[in-house]
Amino acid sequence: MKLKGKSRAEIAMLLLPGLLIFGTFTIYPIVRLFWMSFCGWDFGSFLKQEFIGLSNYREVVTDGYFRTAFANTLAYTAVTVPAQMLLGLFVAMLIHSLPRGQIGFRVAYYLPVITSWVICSLVFRYVFNTEGLLNYFLTQVVHAAPQNIRWLDSRWGGMSVAMLLGIWKGIGWNMVVFLAALQTVPRELYESASLDGAGAWKKFVYVTLPGIRGTLLFALVMLTIGGFNVYTSTKLITDGKPGHETEVVLTWMYYKAFSTGKFGYAAALSFIIALVLAVLAVLQFRLMREKT
Amino acid sequence: MRREKIKKIPALLLASAIGLAATAGCGSSAPAGSETAARSEESAKESEKKTETGTGTPEEAAEEPAGTVTISFWHHYSAQSEENKTLTEILIPEFEKENPGIQVNAVSHEWADLHDKLLISARSDTLPDVARLDSAWVPEFQKMGILVPLNQEIDGFEEAADALLESAMSTAAIGGDQYGLALNTNTKILYYNKEAFEKAGLAVPETMEDFAAACRALAGANENGQQVWGYDEPALSGWNLCPFIWSMGGALTDETQTKATGYINSPETVAAIEMLAELYQENAITGWNSGDIPMTDGFGTGRYMMLLEGPWKVAELAGAYPDFAYGTAAVPAGKDGSVSVLGGEDIAMFRTANRDAAWKFMTFMTGAYAQEEMAKCGQIPCNKEALRSDTVKNADFAPYIEQLKTAKSRPTVAAWSEIDTELATAVTAVVNGEKTAQEAMDELAPKVDQLLSE
Repeated sequence: MKLKGKSRAEIAMLLLPGLLIFGTFTIYPIVRLFWMSFCGWDFGSFLKQEFIGLSNYREVVTDGYFRTAFANTLAYTAVTVPAQMLLGLFVAMLIHSLPRGQIGFRVAYYLPVITSWVICSLVFRYVFNTEGLLNYFLTQVVHAAPQNIRWLDSRWGGMSVAMLLGIWKGIGWNMVVFLAALQTVPRELYESASLDGAGAWKKFVYVTLPGIRGTLLFALVMLTIGGFNVYTSTKLITDGKPGHETEVVLTWMYYKAFSTGKFGYAAALSFIIALVLAVLAVLQFRLMREKT
Repeated sequence: MRREKIKKIPALLLASAIGLAATAGCGSSAPAGSETAARSEESAKESEKKTETGTGTPEEAAEEPAGTVTISFWHHYSAQSEENKTLTEILIPEFEKENPGIQVNAVSHEWADLHDKLLISARSDTLPDVARLDSAWVPEFQKMGILVPLNQEIDGFEEAADALLESAMSTAAIGGDQYGLALNTNTKILYYNKEAFEKAGLAVPETMEDFAAACRALAGANENGQQVWGYDEPALSGWNLCPFIWSMGGALTDETQTKATGYINSPETVAAIEMLAELYQENAITGWNSGDIPMTDGFGTGRYMMLLEGPWKVAELAGAYPDFAYGTAAVPAGKDGSVSVLGGEDIAMFRTANRDAAWKFMTFMTGAYAQEEMAKCGQIPCNKEALRSDTVKNADFAPYIEQLKTAKSRPTVAAWSEIDTELATAVTAVVNGEKTAQEAMDELAPKVDQLLSE
């Protein structure tokens, strides 16, 4: 159907407010940030931003702190994403198999998801503090440890607590998504599989998994992006201590931009992360497609 | 029939749940945004309130000549504090009475917010006329080129500067020029748990050797079987390390603040770091780990026996642990005597300011009258005349006055925050036993040289 000139103008007028807002607050900042990442945009050159090419990018990739933060982020993602998905799927299948009382379990498992990150992080910090609840329990109640264990004071100790929080908080979301997917798998497939003599494991591998493949991919991509966006929990639980060993890419970016004023560096860092995420997403889509 | 109904409920729940998940997913950034919004709203209200109270009655304002100037003054006296009350109810009305035709619009920010807001305002040309700056920020803003070099461009600078403490003025002196006036000063002294020292039969440490011995003697387990430490240090940055390094004869840079090699890795500096690392490894001191007890609580409940802290601790302890008995003393002396680290604030004007009005306000705020009024709510004056007043002699912070005579400021260089980061990282590696103090400082020195030369 061909549109007349008038109705095209009308459409344009209707789209304009939305496009203007999108352009001003999303497109423009991204373009500006991209430009910023090629400039010496820090305290020293605040009033004269000069073009310095790839220097910011070079500085980021050669920075030892960034490498630590990047490794921490990778580890966080590599641990929390599979753990959340496996546990989420496991819980979803358990709930799916219940004849009644599904709603109660669903709500219970979903509660951590709707609780604020700030509150959860502070509670986890309180539990794992050297003088915290867990150590009190271990040393005073069950006498399993002679003295307090310094859970938060090492790089991997602090990171592990953040990972644990991420997994605990993420199970509910995965459960809900997978439960919805499980309900779309046609019952007849299970029935015919039973007739062919398939056991529970075979049904899971040959019926359930292919049936929810799309959802698995969706969860994988969303969670990977989420893993790279981890910020609140590590910021509140360890705040980079000791000596910036528990920084993740976003806390490091924030530190560089707002505590030391290196805006150019932070801009370059954010584009590097965006690139990494884009590559990961493409790879994940490829991988899933090949398997069909 | 019934079955179908039951099937629909989970579907509905799921749908709403996914909706929630979507909002929860984006939620991590939302609170921060709304918090800043709320905060700026608060400060907007604050400024509104202040213009109301600060400008006098409407009739007066109407009578004012057309040439009335309004200057804005950004500070980080917290909105609810005594200091803020003194500023808005006593000092600004007095200033406006003395200087008809000038009005002051004072805006209170959170400490960290003020730093970031000034950064952003500099980018959008919306800086205030005058601001109260943490002395650690002055080099950064100076390098941005937004501060006025007072000694070069303001008449009557010498007179104003002579009235103020030289040591405090040094926090705003960069490359021979003066970028602010010292507004208030502070430093750290030793706080100790009186009961613990009496029980252990220990004298209050006067030297660094005594201090280390006291840390070891007081550490251990208390009667409830809880671990206690001789000393608490809440971080490992320059503010924390400098009193030890300087008192023990070390340094971070040379006098001209251009070179660190030979200073930050000198035997004296290394010895200071080694002392702290050894005490930590013997479980005699702690405090900088994520899992440690916060400072005031640890001290007030007898888990930390000593601290080095500033004058604000008096009020904090009185509020949280009013019955706790503690004493104060000078920083333990090393071979260079008892040298503490200077904190404090400067008052500075920006290039876009109305200079006459801004300068009048700055000299008023650093004058004897305003300084004595502020001393009444715990701000240590920099004005020599105010320092001799009875208010100061009877104040809580009297013990600090002696320590201030020898206190030194941290390097006034633009790269200080990065140097501070590197220093903390290097010392963290030492206390955790990953490197020896000498190795870590030798690695650190060229990095700091590089940062100083940028």
